[in-house]
Amino acid sequence: MMGASWLEVPRDLLHSLGDIAKFCWRVLVEVLEGRTIKFFGETLRQAGILIIGSGLVIWGLAFILGLSICGVEAAYFNRSIGAPAYAGWFGAWCDLREAMPYAFGYMMSAKVGTGLVAEIGAMRINEEIDALDVMGISSLTFLCSTRLLAAWVVLPFMYVIAVGVGFFATYLAIVQQIGEVSAGGYSLIFWMFQNPPDLFFSTIKGMAMATVIVLVGCYYGYTASGGPVGVGTATAKSMVLNTVLVHILGMLGTQIFWGTNPRAPIGG
Amino acid sequence: MILTGKTLLSAIRPPHPYGTEFVQQFMFVLRLCWFPLLVSTVAICYGAPGLQAGNALVIFGALDRLGGFFVLASIREIGPNVTAIVVAGVGGTAITADLGARKIREELDALQVLGVDPVKNLVVPRFLALMIITGLFNIFAVMFGLFGGMLATITFDAPLGPFFATLLSNASTTDLWGSVLKTTLFGAIIAIVSCYKGMTASGGAEGVGRAVNQGVVIEFLAIFSFNYVFTQTLLATHPEISVIK
Repeated sequence: MMGASWLEVPRDLLHSLGDIAKFCWRVLVEVLEGRTIKFFGETLRQAGILIIGSGLVIWGLAFILGLSICGVEAAYFNRSIGAPAYAGWFGAWCDLREAMPYAFGYMMSAKVGTGLVAEIGAMRINEEIDALDVMGISSLTFLCSTRLLAAWVVLPFMYVIAVGVGFFATYLAIVQQIGEVSAGGYSLIFWMFQNPPDLFFSTIKGMAMATVIVLVGCYYGYTASGGPVGVGTATAKSMVLNTVLVHILGMLGTQIFWGTNPRAPIGG
Repeated sequence: MILTGKTLLSAIRPPHPYGTEFVQQFMFVLRLCWFPLLVSTVAICYGAPGLQAGNALVIFGALDRLGGFFVLASIREIGPNVTAIVVAGVGGTAITADLGARKIREELDALQVLGVDPVKNLVVPRFLALMIITGLFNIFAVMFGLFGGMLATITFDAPLGPFFATLLSNASTTDLWGSVLKTTLFGAIIAIVSCYKGMTASGGAEGVGRAVNQGVVIEFLAIFSFNYVFTQTLLATHPEISVIK
């Protein structure tokens, strides 16, 4: 990796994209065909691990992002355009539409994505995956599909909680800390500028990121090779791909769901 | 923390044998990060501040203000943060994996036996290289962020002239300096955490992967917490930069 050439990262990504797509398709098919039902216990166990292991960090990052970018910047930006009472607008859009999907995507790729690579990669290196195959258990279903299903089961709820945490942090920063608007005035604008479809779209955005991250993590773990060092390198590589994909998905989500149609309660 | 102190001390104290390693690490991170960073900044700046804030400004009939908003969005927040995310996610993980591999293969112990100080020869060059390159990457990110903003302006069928007019009238040197200083410190955090996690990796095959995992989680949390404090301080101590001109 030391003598990397300038185009190594893009070339690498393109090179493995086909493999990743094929792999993801297989995992998806296994989930959709219901073959994971056999391993439902494992799915529940993975779901539990997601909640206990990753819940707090994800909400922690959501809290900090809500405080800094959406809270402090909102207060100062709206003060500068002479509409401090409308700080809630910035908070609502920033939290719900942009910052929370990104916070979720970042922390998912850092905590869950690399965690999956490390875990499954270690199984590959220790030949546990081969052992599974020899015993006649489909390792792909048992390891990857169950994790994907677990993510789908648990993450929408964790995402909505993260949004709630972000809202609370923004409220803290704007109303309590900087004292830009009164609590009532803040709530009025804040809730006026969002609606249930926004939350729904935002959840779809977060879930799309989560799905991609889990699949990428499983792929790099499942195909790890080259001893302990290989696991480390695979973990680092998965992070590269995840960083790029999270941003691209965030942009596509914004473009598709909101585009140039703001759906705000004023103007028109 | 102890590693931070040690690194700073041995960076200053002669002899300075880390010149070549510094250049190597610098080029390494540069080669690794430029592409992910380019894609990420254009994407996020087109989507988040470009389209969403553009929407809001279209309601007020003031799309030309988008340039002014990009000072806040791109230069002050998103540029530095995305730079830090990408450098941590791409460069930081690579460094942890690299050092972790050396630790597992007992190369670090071998170095110590040979009388070579791993902090001076491995950590210090990475620390300096990441600090400088994160600061420089920030400028790169801001430029491509503005490119994303231009794309968004074109999406709204608006001319680019007003975008640049409000951008340049609102941008201040304090903003840019604050942004560069912030990313330089982000770079320091990333380097220290990744080196520490890499050098303390243990436990066979899963160990290196675990180290990378923990390292990147700590880096993200530390970056954003630090960002909160820094933004807060900068905005409160320099009220003139948040005045729209």
